Amino acid sequence: MAKRAMRVTLRDNVATMVETAVAGEAVVVTTGRETSAVVAREEIPCNFKIALAHIPRGEAVVKYGEVIGEASADIPPGALVHVHNLVGRRGRGDLARRDV
Amino acid sequence: MTWLGYRRPDGSYGARNYVLIVPGGLVATKICQFVRGTVTLATSETGNTRARRDRETVARFLANIGKNPNVAGVLVQGNSAGGSYAELSLERIADEVAGTGKPVAVLTADQCGGTLGLLAKGIEVAREMVWRASRAQREPADDAALSLGMKCGGSDATSGLVGNGVVGYVYDRLVAARGVAMFSENTEIIGAEHVLARRAVSPEVAEQILAVARKMEERGQAVGEDIRTINPVPANFAGGISTLEEKSLGAIHKAGSQPIQGVLSYGERPPRPGLYFVDNNANGQYLFPSYAAAGAQMVMFQLGGASVPVGGILDPSTGIVAPLLWLTANRRTQERAANSVDFCSAPVLEGTESLEEAGERLYELIRETASGAMTRTETIDHTNPFSMYLEDPIF
Repeated sequence: MAKRAMRVTLRDNVATMVETAVAGEAVVVTTGRETSAVVAREEIPCNFKIALAHIPRGEAVVKYGEVIGEASADIPPGALVHVHNLVGRRGRGDLARRDV
Repeated sequence: MTWLGYRRPDGSYGARNYVLIVPGGLVATKICQFVRGTVTLATSETGNTRARRDRETVARFLANIGKNPNVAGVLVQGNSAGGSYAELSLERIADEVAGTGKPVAVLTADQCGGTLGLLAKGIEVAREMVWRASRAQREPADDAALSLGMKCGGSDATSGLVGNGVVGYVYDRLVAARGVAMFSENTEIIGAEHVLARRAVSPEVAEQILAVARKMEERGQAVGEDIRTINPVPANFAGGISTLEEKSLGAIHKAGSQPIQGVLSYGERPPRPGLYFVDNNANGQYLFPSYAAAGAQMVMFQLGGASVPVGGILDPSTGIVAPLLWLTANRRTQERAANSVDFCSAPVLEGTESLEEAGERLYELIRETASGAMTRTETIDHTNPFSMYLEDPIF
């Protein structure tokens, strides 16, 4: 039985799992009334994000129709998207210091 | 009419009927221990050795918490009438509160023959005020008489996807009914401030929204701090949130979709009905008191999946005179802290309820609570110390 994920807007390239999917498992992604499908490449725990498309390193990760950060590595579809491959750019005092 | 409240002389309606003793301290605390139905302030912040702007904030807070509709009467007490700074004089605070028409008394140790004399007289005055306040009966009130403040915390994916959206639904309904809805947390609009600014009623308000986010971001940069070590907090990362931007974009769902009327200073009362942003950090110990000073009869904490122990009791306080409703969209949180959680919107994620249905359910709970039903943590007789959002150095 496919596992469920929620995508907030059609512009989003990630969705949030509402139950845990294991590697190789099919995931049904709902966006309002629309649905699409993706296969989990690895375990994606409930409440964590799954990539819906290939997101090249340096490209924007989009959720809520807005940029939530950029890919710090190439992210294939079906991969877990979290702090290991997604970084925020805002409020980063450490980056500001490096720029000086 | 939709709820029952205590009508105040200024036309507002209280959801509770407290007598407030300000400022806090030895005498105020002892009066409260002696007299049922009284509340005081537990904070180390007095305004002493603060710059003028911050002293004004403390004075505004003290006067405005007294104006809260949940307060029936106020006893202002201290060592001497003048106090140490003009802004913080007891008369000034008392005069401001008296402007609402509610009973206000001023007592000083000077006038009562010392601290113990002040205590004895204070008990007498407070008992009389409580007794008189208790004569009032609840009367029918409309949603337009409601004012609410909310914060999200321990956020996880359920917060942004459902929990905050349910509050946003209620806020839209409340604003449409000409009530007051407040949200805040400068840190947690960073990355989402442009979305909020588009909803401002004027270019000036839009700039104020951008400015409070910029101010907070610059403070982080000024100390060279990697915001990721502060916010998102570890519980957010563990709950599936990856970046501050993501957290902010989920957090702003609590603000619904109505126009933003303005940015309020700490403890400032909104000039008109509608939706307001409050200039404040993201800490509940600062934020809930600010909402109460702005006139909120109730405050809400929308909790994600933070590390709640099984059987854990959630923080019962800091709204001071405004009871706190604990909300969550996380089933596990609701089960672990069933003794404290007032409302759970997990059925929306589970697919058995729509967001609108959950919102209506929350709206009804708010009206019941406004009419006198206690929140779960309101049953606990404890107030944690709170802090005020002051912006200048202490000298």
